[in-house]
Amino acid sequence: MKKVLLLGLMLLFASAAAFAQGRVVTGTVTSGDDGLPLPGASVVVKGTTIGTATDLDGKFSLNVPQGSNVLVVSFTGFTAQEASIGNRSVVDVVLQADIASLGEVIVTGYGTQPKREVTGAVSSVKGDVIQNLPVQSFDRALQGRASGVQVRSANGLPGGAVNIRIRGVGSVNAGNEPLFIVDGVQLNNAANSSFTQANPLAFLNPNDIESMEILKDAASAAIYGSQAANGVVIITTKKGKSGKARFEFNAFGGQTQPMKYLDVLGGAEWYTMRREAFQNSGNTLPEANALNNMARLPSNWQTLTAAELEAIGQGLPTYDWQREVMGTGNLQNYELSVNGGDDKTTFFVSGSYNYQQSSFQPVDFERGTVRTSLSHKATNRLTLETSINLATVGQNVPFSLDGSFLGNPAFSASLVLPHNPIYNEDGTFNQAIGGVLGQNIVLVNEYNSGKTRTNTLVGNAAATYKILDNLSYRALVGLDYNLIQEDRYRDPRTPDGAGVRGRATAATDWRTRFITTHTLNWNKTFNNVHNVSALAGFEFVSETRQGINGESINFPTFQFRYVDSGAEPVFVGGFWTGYRRQGAFMSGNYSYKEKYLFTVTARYDGSSRFGADTKYGLFPSVRAGWNIAMEDFLKESEIVTDLKLRASWGRAGNDQIGNFAARGLYGTGGNYAGQAGMRPTSLPNNNLSWETNESVNLGLDYGFFSNKLTGSIEVFDRRTKDLLLNQPVLWQNGFSTIANNVGELQNKGFEFELNTINIDKGGFSWRTAFNFSYIKNQIISLYDDLQFLPANPGIAVGQSIGNPPVPGAAAPGSWFVQEYAGVNPATGRPMWYDINRNITYLPLAADRIYMGSNLAPYFGGFNNTFRYKGFELTAFFTYEYGAVVSDGQYNFLRENGTRLTLNALREVNDRRWTEPGQITDIPRNLTTNAGNETRGAGRNSGSAALLKADFIRLAQVTVGYSFDPSLLRSLGINRARVYAQGLNLWTYADYPGYDPEFVGIGTGQVPLTKNYTIGLQLGF
Amino acid sequence: MKRNNSIYSKLATLFIGFAVVLTSCDLEVNPRQSIDAVGALDTPNGIDAAINSIYGRLRVESNYGRDLLALADALADVGRTTSNSGRLIGENNNQPNAHFTAGFWQNSYAAINEANLVLDQLQKGVPGASAAQLARWEGETKFLRALYYFDLVKAYSYIPTAIYTPGVTDQGGIPLELDGVITLEKALTRQTPRATIDQVYNQIYADLNSSIALLTVAGRGIQYASGAAATALLSRVALYRGDWATAASAATTALGTSVGRVTGVDNYVSGWRQSANPESMFEVRIQLAAESLGVNVSLQSSYTALLNLENKNAQGGWGDFIPNATILGFFGLAPLQIGNPASDNNNWDVTRNSDVRAGLYTTGNTVRGAGRQIESTKFISKNGFAFGDNIPVIRKSEMHLNRAEANYHLGNEAESLAELNAFKALRGLGAVTVTGQALLDEILLERFKEFAFEGHRFFDLKRYGRPIIKTTPAVNVQFDDFRILPPIPQREVDGNPNLNQNRGY
Repeated sequence: MKKVLLLGLMLLFASAAAFAQGRVVTGTVTSGDDGLPLPGASVVVKGTTIGTATDLDGKFSLNVPQGSNVLVVSFTGFTAQEASIGNRSVVDVVLQADIASLGEVIVTGYGTQPKREVTGAVSSVKGDVIQNLPVQSFDRALQGRASGVQVRSANGLPGGAVNIRIRGVGSVNAGNEPLFIVDGVQLNNAANSSFTQANPLAFLNPNDIESMEILKDAASAAIYGSQAANGVVIITTKKGKSGKARFEFNAFGGQTQPMKYLDVLGGAEWYTMRREAFQNSGNTLPEANALNNMARLPSNWQTLTAAELEAIGQGLPTYDWQREVMGTGNLQNYELSVNGGDDKTTFFVSGSYNYQQSSFQPVDFERGTVRTSLSHKATNRLTLETSINLATVGQNVPFSLDGSFLGNPAFSASLVLPHNPIYNEDGTFNQAIGGVLGQNIVLVNEYNSGKTRTNTLVGNAAATYKILDNLSYRALVGLDYNLIQEDRYRDPRTPDGAGVRGRATAATDWRTRFITTHTLNWNKTFNNVHNVSALAGFEFVSETRQGINGESINFPTFQFRYVDSGAEPVFVGGFWTGYRRQGAFMSGNYSYKEKYLFTVTARYDGSSRFGADTKYGLFPSVRAGWNIAMEDFLKESEIVTDLKLRASWGRAGNDQIGNFAARGLYGTGGNYAGQAGMRPTSLPNNNLSWETNESVNLGLDYGFFSNKLTGSIEVFDRRTKDLLLNQPVLWQNGFSTIANNVGELQNKGFEFELNTINIDKGGFSWRTAFNFSYIKNQIISLYDDLQFLPANPGIAVGQSIGNPPVPGAAAPGSWFVQEYAGVNPATGRPMWYDINRNITYLPLAADRIYMGSNLAPYFGGFNNTFRYKGFELTAFFTYEYGAVVSDGQYNFLRENGTRLTLNALREVNDRRWTEPGQITDIPRNLTTNAGNETRGAGRNSGSAALLKADFIRLAQVTVGYSFDPSLLRSLGINRARVYAQGLNLWTYADYPGYDPEFVGIGTGQVPLTKNYTIGLQLGF
Repeated sequence: MKRNNSIYSKLATLFIGFAVVLTSCDLEVNPRQSIDAVGALDTPNGIDAAINSIYGRLRVESNYGRDLLALADALADVGRTTSNSGRLIGENNNQPNAHFTAGFWQNSYAAINEANLVLDQLQKGVPGASAAQLARWEGETKFLRALYYFDLVKAYSYIPTAIYTPGVTDQGGIPLELDGVITLEKALTRQTPRATIDQVYNQIYADLNSSIALLTVAGRGIQYASGAAATALLSRVALYRGDWATAASAATTALGTSVGRVTGVDNYVSGWRQSANPESMFEVRIQLAAESLGVNVSLQSSYTALLNLENKNAQGGWGDFIPNATILGFFGLAPLQIGNPASDNNNWDVTRNSDVRAGLYTTGNTVRGAGRQIESTKFISKNGFAFGDNIPVIRKSEMHLNRAEANYHLGNEAESLAELNAFKALRGLGAVTVTGQALLDEILLERFKEFAFEGHRFFDLKRYGRPIIKTTPAVNVQFDDFRILPPIPQREVDGNPNLNQNRGY
């Protein structure tokens, strides 16, 4: 504020001095960053009070008195520069951004802070890092970018769900979703589509993001109290900057490709395998039976010899079903933005179009967005802002999200028996498919249809009023509308629609979130050394969801595809749910000479989800920091540039449970004989209350050698107390679970971030960013001194709880299974270890041991950027280590066609036991008893089919070239960049399934893709 | 300074404002699709709906929807599996743990709790209810509670006529819960041990006798409990208990009612083609397409790959569980080509002997790719939509067989044989002349034929302590084998220190 006053005073003096003698000097002040003019820069004649400010085009005109020959040009955030006039009358000045003085600014709870004053664990990801990545939602782009933040795509659906865990998994049954805030509007990231996954965060074009801050420790997040237990991700979108209108055009296009095709058996190979299985099972007609399994047994088979039948089997053809239904897809993206303004009003307007196909067509994603951001200084004291994001997303839905449905191409493509032709000779679909997967998935894919449309509006309006120069009040109202409309049709020409002559389903889901936040900010500096600031606020959030849905069957013909055309309704449904939250919060900051930093925060929050007497909770935090580099003994150090020690403790809350979980309810259910039924659905718990996260964080931020080497180290201990656990109730008492506050969980870990400028010489630079996280997740205690949860012994004291796949799903627990001991070399029988480490064929429940979980304890990212003149090369790796997963798709393949007539992996079949003495892990093939030995456990039992999901992935490679701005000016272009980019080009993993990165059961899920793009960016 | 003071007082006011807002803002949000459990049952409509839910639970897969028929018969010596969908293979092989499921226990006890809650409410009174309604509700609810307990105890425990004890601890019956749970405290603390088998049967008797007294003979129709249905169920329970006199007398009473009609040679098969089998005294109704269990686990899908009998080429269910050689032998079933070309499934049927029940079997189709098999068509979308079949729980024919068997044990062999031969005549079979053990065997054989694919056989073997002998698959389960009983769900044993697991698990 003082600066503004000073500037005003200076202008006053300037006009007074204009009467003096002198000469007129004009010029333009531009930014060294982008070459654009800088409006509002101060131009002062050195040694005088004569000065002016640049206009919207960065131009100035100044009367310079005789004898003065130097101008001082300054602008906030840039290094002030002196320019000697000499005998020039036009003086153009290029200002360079002043990184050292300004420092990085971090968005924190309800405000911003210079990075060097931050005392909590906060990771910041700038928008330019994720710029132009062909991903549909920004959460996906966070993978590997920040320590402590683990990101996994649920699957390869474009715009699908993303699993994001900040510092581990903190809850068994309550949600583990971080709080996402876009421009002050708190979002719900649950994907509520019925037929696909419609990630609500996909409403925002990732290129509209200025920065993302991740508040990781409870102390930083505690100001958000009730929703902060799983961390907070604050998204700041791009805003307008004053100056003449600047246009940015951005386009990229390319292809998606499957990362992998599974190497499965061919027709004759499968026949051979099956014939051998019949022989092993003592069958007297192995050739005939194997052919019969494949629906290739000739009707006159009894007249044929075994050798003749064998010849038929060996002559069977092979068709590649995977390559028929999987393949390359298109992707493209176009966007145009314009921003600018004057000293009172700035604006940013952008529009974008994004399209991407998955590797399983027609599954795709198509989005259009429009974004407007306005800021207006109504008076010196009042600032008005608004930001409105509109998006519409259309997705062609998959047959199913996952599951072993015959018609699901992602399931059947690798498992259908390979001798089945896809097309008849006349080009029609072959519908006589031998084997258990008796559907032609290419036909099914062709005839079925379904579409999900998601319309989103996220917007806010805010007013900031300066009550005093050091006291301001800000009011914000925000809205988050999310409307999903979808329909799906099972065509009567496909097997699933044939029996019912077509089945159409329609659904809607309308979510409305309202938020209002009111804050007061105050700060004051005493004696130039004591900085004190405080914030107080109140917030109210309300969310309601409702929808209607219906299904009908019996359609006149397949051309009728909408739910109203079905003669027979199957169901008509609808739902309504909602909750409210409110809270008051405050924080106080004190710093002494910017050396010693202290912050306390507290929030008192209430949620409608809890019991009548226990709705409210208190969430305090304290943080302290010591800027060691500011101490006298280091101030002059040439080695140490930055060094800050941080410590924090905080408590945050989690209320991500069902909206009515505390209530004892009767719900509809159990209709009988067409008459309505109702039944008790939940038990009341009037004392149900907050699950709390208390975390201790110790951190060290460092910068050495003029910040050529920067980074941070964190250690933390995050404890979840009073877990919102679905405590099992004995089924004999009529219920399954009751939500209760019992048990304790710990995530403790270590995070390391290192950013280096390896070379920066002669226009060539090489920068590296590396991060590493280790998190140990374990249950500390349950209830009643239990060592494991009766309903799920994988949830056990001392063991990891695993990673829940989707919001609302329970954490799966650790693998608690019998350890596989391989195959008996003498007989080919699968063996397991019993609890005494003896071999058994039939392991019991008592033989189970803990064998890890699907939550990777080690993960991170590694980025390299090379620049030379206009060229740049980025190579970004992500990695995960230590997760143990069960991949349903692989489990089916690992059966090696023994239980069901399904295709098999070549590498599995090659390892099958065939002769005594062979040491292997795949049992001999059998046909009897579902492919298993009598009185022996199933071949996939215990740990036999568990997989290590470790991987290192080249997540991104970008090669770009930026044209020299001076060459472009004549074309009216300020900036031009072309680039080529590849995503997921290479993965190092010892993984037999499609891809180690997925969440959920793995069966029939669309896997992630490789993407290739080329792009163009223009600024004018 | 003065200005500052006013600002601070404004600030203070603001904070007080916040506090007021905070305490006054309503955080109460009520669900709109559910109602509070307190008071949910104190209206006549509420009780009606709550009882519907108890009926509805009979329909689920783990109970009459599939397992009490198909899974029970897979455990026994009725049929073999096809591997078409991979279902019921483990059960058919009597693999350890492949047995009645945890869901059966869970769903049955949930139904029992709902019944207990209704009965608790009836004791407190239902405003606006008539005496007739009160009697009907109590009678139907007690019938349902008796049925669920009987289904549980016959599966999880030995049957009183053949309790295996040598060398092992008799784990007894099942936990008897007779009052409802609707509070957290009770839900978390009630840890009832297994009652004795005798206690469980006493309770079932008490409930059924109460039902018989409270309900009208015909009730509201065969999809609901009635006096006749309760009497018929009592006859079966008594038969299992070895209470032969009650079994016989209840059968006589049941046969004397107007509910259900024993069909004969002319109308036996056509009865099975009607949506409500005329023989039914109590059946689980599948009225709407939404109530069907669908293509994967419905009884029709379990038994046949046909969608309907009109066009055998239409793709239906899986046909996972089909007759074995024993059943084929009973009815003289063999594939028979009746037209050309052979590739058309409609050109195939089966040979049949004089037993009218042979008409319930025919060839399936090859649409699933696993060959054309001879299948049971007792369930074949009779209700007019795919996989929609009402499920008979008690057919009146059973009363004749119950009474014949009871009379045999009561020493009335002549009556027994007469009844058996009369019944055989109804099925197109000639009379037999047997006595003693051979008579009993002949009665049990007739039960086997009559109720194949209806879930009786496993329990008929179990209540005589007879082994399960199968050739396809080649599995023999002696009566002393632990696999006669299913495991009690491990979570229940883990969570209830008073609950003993069955032997061998």
